[in-house]
Amino acid sequence: MRPKLYLLLAWLPLLATSCTDTCRETRTYRRFTPMTLSTAQIRQGVQSEPTRTLVNPGKLYTKDGFLFINELKEGIHIVDNRDPAAPRMVSFLRIPGNGDIAIRNNILYADSYMDLLTFDISDPQNVRELKRVENVFPNGQLDGGWWTLDAQRQLVNDQKVDYVTETVKTNCDGPVMNWPQTWTSLTSGSWSSFSTASFDNASAALNSSGTGGSMARFALYDHYLYTVSQTAMQLFDIRNPADPQLGNNINLGWNIETIFPYKDKLFIGSQTGMQIFDNSNPEKPVQMATFQHARVCDPVVVHEDKAYVTLRSGTSCQGFTNQLDVVDISNLYSPRLLKSYPMKNPHGLSVDFPNLFICEGAYGLKTLNAQDAMNISELEHLEGFHAYDVIALGKTLLLIGQDGFYQYDYSNPRKLRLLSKIPVKRPYTVS
Amino acid sequence: MSDFIRYTVWFLCLLGLPVAAQKRAFKPVFTNMTEFGVSLGQVRYNVSAVTESVRKQQNITAQTFNGVQLRPKLAVGGTVGVDWYSSALLLPVCAGVRYDLAQPGAKNLRVFTSLDTGYGFTWLNQDPTGYETKGGWVIAPGIGFRTGRPQNANFILSLSYRRQEAEVDKPLFANEIYKSESRVYNRIAFRVGLSF
Repeated sequence: MRPKLYLLLAWLPLLATSCTDTCRETRTYRRFTPMTLSTAQIRQGVQSEPTRTLVNPGKLYTKDGFLFINELKEGIHIVDNRDPAAPRMVSFLRIPGNGDIAIRNNILYADSYMDLLTFDISDPQNVRELKRVENVFPNGQLDGGWWTLDAQRQLVNDQKVDYVTETVKTNCDGPVMNWPQTWTSLTSGSWSSFSTASFDNASAALNSSGTGGSMARFALYDHYLYTVSQTAMQLFDIRNPADPQLGNNINLGWNIETIFPYKDKLFIGSQTGMQIFDNSNPEKPVQMATFQHARVCDPVVVHEDKAYVTLRSGTSCQGFTNQLDVVDISNLYSPRLLKSYPMKNPHGLSVDFPNLFICEGAYGLKTLNAQDAMNISELEHLEGFHAYDVIALGKTLLLIGQDGFYQYDYSNPRKLRLLSKIPVKRPYTVS
Repeated sequence: MSDFIRYTVWFLCLLGLPVAAQKRAFKPVFTNMTEFGVSLGQVRYNVSAVTESVRKQQNITAQTFNGVQLRPKLAVGGTVGVDWYSSALLLPVCAGVRYDLAQPGAKNLRVFTSLDTGYGFTWLNQDPTGYETKGGWVIAPGIGFRTGRPQNANFILSLSYRRQEAEVDKPLFANEIYKSESRVYNRIAFRVGLSF
């Protein structure tokens, strides 16, 4: 009988668990704490510093083999990428409150909370500040936290962002309710993509604007710099590139987030769709139509008369489909959805026709052949890493992932070859 | 978790001992045990410095064991079950062992013990939008009664402990970057059924 007794005793320790379910929910979120800065502090903070590791990269520009990567709220990393297999960090340009950059020829425009700064980047190792236009932006949003300018008291009220991970006990019943989103977008500012790699710029032959890769609040067209805030569009006249002059301010309504110039039109992105402005008079863009096939959370790339839009679940725009839409935009007043392709969780994308690169978030990178819009086929699917945004640079592909910027050679689109990696140490981990 | 693996291995090793003396060769035959019942438990949640909430859980569970009666007292096979938890429908697919422990007073009643261990799948589960439930390891030792002669169909009544793991990815709101829930269901299951 002995073995049988042992068998019964073997279960006794299980009673210690007392038949209680244990369910732990772990979440990582941004916590905001208010802080105040003086405008003097912000203005004196601009300087060239030794290189540092990327932590929270935002907008990225590439120009003449150099990468200018915005470090949200901190400044700009300058990277020598003339040899994509061996990128070299050159320096860090500290700009307090920087969220966006735009480059034309050898001039770099950057925002610093309420000011617009102009830099000379003809020698990237030695960036010089040229001009500062003061108090042009009244408020803004960086990494989800809001800031406002108190011009009278010369202060900026900002929010410090902390990444907090906490674990709570739940009742194991999972979905209780879906809380409706009532507040405005609080996106991280670096996942969506408005890559303009293949759009026709009327002045492309004379000027060379850099290629941007992230959510664009700055845009260059003709001799104007367009900047969008949450409610309005502020123009800057850059006839003399080193000396931007304050131009018109156009009211746009609410929830405006991004701007994307395309031929002689401006696409202004909001949470419900994109407004199309006729930009034939660049001094005075006029609203024309609404393009409902893409909202601000939906990255768009355009090639000739086709727009490729990715929609995904898990954004602040509250969509739940994961797909690639191909839209015919030969007539902007009535864009036509040509076909939808199911995807896993598509984020940013880039097109170097006929190659279409789509980042699938936690599911890696897909290379597609978009030669026939009605029959887009998959050439390669690289998995095992996070892919958020991608820029096709002609021969190399720059991929923004969880822990670094990866560069691939895509001369054979069926077999991407990894060239190098610029490490990013994010303050939070996403498994 | 490693404790359970250890106990499982220990238990399976012990099964070898009682089968030393056999009078004649026993021919292995197909055997089945199908049961249906409730799985009961509690959960403590909303824990804060001041308050805590406790809820009683009761969910339906059913399973079928199909195997081979290797010895007069030992059957080995596979178990497929279904657990209707409040927010996840899991399909545990396990390897199972059934061992007859005793026949008290030589009556038409036997006590048997069971052990199932395997993985709970979410094949039948439907998630609300934004949620993704993944299954996990399950282990379920149990004890029960069977009434009836061994050569006939028996009624069975069983009591088992069930530990099921699961994980859910949840949709993100506003400031959230990552949200995921890890679950361990610890339940007592009362089941009735048939065996043949």
